[in-house]
Amino acid sequence: MNLYETGFVLSPALSEEETAQFISQMAEVVAQKQGRLVKQDIWGKRRLAFPIKRFKEGFYVFFVYEGGGEVSLELERRFKQSDAVIRFMTVKQDPRDLEPRKKKRAARAAAAGPAAGAAESAGSEEISR
Amino acid sequence: MSRERERDDRPEKSERGYKKFFAPKRKVCRFCQRNVRSIDYKAVEILRKYIPDRGKITPRRVTGTCAYHQRKLAQAVKRARIMALLPFVED
Repeated sequence: MNLYETGFVLSPALSEEETAQFISQMAEVVAQKQGRLVKQDIWGKRRLAFPIKRFKEGFYVFFVYEGGGEVSLELERRFKQSDAVIRFMTVKQDPRDLEPRKKKRAARAAAAGPAAGAAESAGSEEISR
Repeated sequence: MSRERERDDRPEKSERGYKKFFAPKRKVCRFCQRNVRSIDYKAVEILRKYIPDRGKITPRRVTGTCAYHQRKLAQAVKRARIMALLPFVED
């Protein structure tokens, strides 16, 4: 089981009902493939940084879900078939990102920080070396 | 860390009076300060600070970002570009 995040941009030409319908359809796909939808982030219409298929804005939706790789495969297969989706991307969450970073570095920085600061103000360290 | 210090110290060694006029400003990684673990590509406002005018990623010698976070940052910017949140080029 992995945590995935799939973001997709829908065409702004779709009507509100069509957009809502498409999103709920995709949510169903996730459930169908034994995925657990953790978060559904709907940003709504947003200006694109560059035109895609001559559209200047897009409807942004992000799904965060837990499940096997089949979920994202199926989602992406449907995205490719549909004309409604103009851009999509799936990112797998790195499990290392969830745990805090090692303390060692922080401790070393804290030890070096005051020492370096003291040497800088005194300006003696370099001369003695 | 040690390499960073040497680089900062260099001008002082070659020229004694240098520091008097241009104190080398110590740059600290802004992500380390906040103890950030991963950088999200959706946080466009944060990423924008690292892609001035031209839309290029600012090198870490300018921003002072540490190697670890620069890698994460570059990855996030590139992802954001794919999703059309940030431009590939801008003039």
